[in-house]
Amino acid sequence: MRTPKRNILAILAIAVITAVLVSNSKKVTNSSRTNISDMSSAPLKASRGILSAVERMVPFAGFRSEIRRLNGEVEALKRRIEESKPVADENERLKEILGFKRSIPLSTIPAEVIGRDPSNWSNSIIIAKGLSAGIRPNSAVLSTKGLVGRVLEVGRGSSKILLITDPNSKVGVVIQRNRQGGMLVGRPDGKCRMVYIALDSDVNKGDKVITAGLGSIFPRGILVGEVVAVGKEPGRLYKYAVIKPAQEMSKLEEVLCIR
Amino acid sequence: MHKIGRLGAYTIMAAALLIQLTFLGRFRIFGAEPDLMLLCVTFFGLFLGPAAGLETGAVAGAMMDIFSLDYFGINTFVYTATGLLSGALNTSFVRESRRTQALIVFFCTAFSMCLHFFLASVFSGSVELGFYEYLRACVIPAGLYTAAVSIPVFAKLSGVYNLREREDLL
Repeated sequence: MRTPKRNILAILAIAVITAVLVSNSKKVTNSSRTNISDMSSAPLKASRGILSAVERMVPFAGFRSEIRRLNGEVEALKRRIEESKPVADENERLKEILGFKRSIPLSTIPAEVIGRDPSNWSNSIIIAKGLSAGIRPNSAVLSTKGLVGRVLEVGRGSSKILLITDPNSKVGVVIQRNRQGGMLVGRPDGKCRMVYIALDSDVNKGDKVITAGLGSIFPRGILVGEVVAVGKEPGRLYKYAVIKPAQEMSKLEEVLCIR
Repeated sequence: MHKIGRLGAYTIMAAALLIQLTFLGRFRIFGAEPDLMLLCVTFFGLFLGPAAGLETGAVAGAMMDIFSLDYFGINTFVYTATGLLSGALNTSFVRESRRTQALIVFFCTAFSMCLHFFLASVFSGSVELGFYEYLRACVIPAGLYTAAVSIPVFAKLSGVYNLREREDLL
């Protein structure tokens, strides 16, 4: 066992290294982190494939004894129906994406989600497309239900998306009903907070929130979510609203990156 | 490390990271998901002492930093400090009690999330989230969820490594 003095020295050394790393965070992320993360996209894709296969197999586990008793032909047909369910679901999702893609006048690149941020603080996802597919940093990312986030780090074959629910994400938004503006910031619990809403503004539960189109990243009018609570910032001259994103981020499987 | 080899410990942590990266996000309750990496670090710190907690914390944090979009190095520091904390608690409580283990995990999760909040506030300088709101909406649900998950996970890990006798633990 180490002595307490050595532990303190070790943690001090790690604190110094952390400070150096954090102060050079951009350089580190631009080189090593993106490369390592990019290299790991293949195992991530493979584990996603295994997961999908397991998901297809699980419904059959309980039916094994029944399968033995039943007629082979009937079972083969049942199995075919069961097997086609995930394909049908995927087909529905892709149709939905295609329909959505046609409905928005923007050029987009569809991409599959292969990983999620492992920490409880930040909210990001890893997608299976990168520079080679035309993804560029700071492109807005959408789903069929609404705004998802923006591209932050791009590798050759994968990219990291900063979700709107990340505390470092900031998006200019307006209430659809009365065009009241504010800024959307993320919360680690999967919701968002609309801040800097004027005190005299009329914001109610159930109001839809859309992008304001300010700045060059997010196009105007994309649905962001719905107001679920309104309150006054303690000690400030502003109101805030808690926003439930239109797209539940934990269930994202495919996204569209705007070119 | 004594009873638990480095290779075994790092394999467990790599598996935990893979689970967190791929599908653990689907099991969110009240916006929180259990932190398996933190569970591993707390387990190693609690059962093997501060040095093991420190070491596994640094490795787990570095692994998290690669896949996170956070400032590089924050997770390394947070997990190292949490590993050291759980290691420091390893002689202060009856670790074999499931209830104590769950309480320590809750405490360590809350500590790591609060530390992360403060570091992020210092480095980012523009965190718009209030600390009490963060505590209520994020820290408590995540802490409770991780503590609940720790009961079967710790039982399994203790079984795998046969950590029952006190002399085996240190």
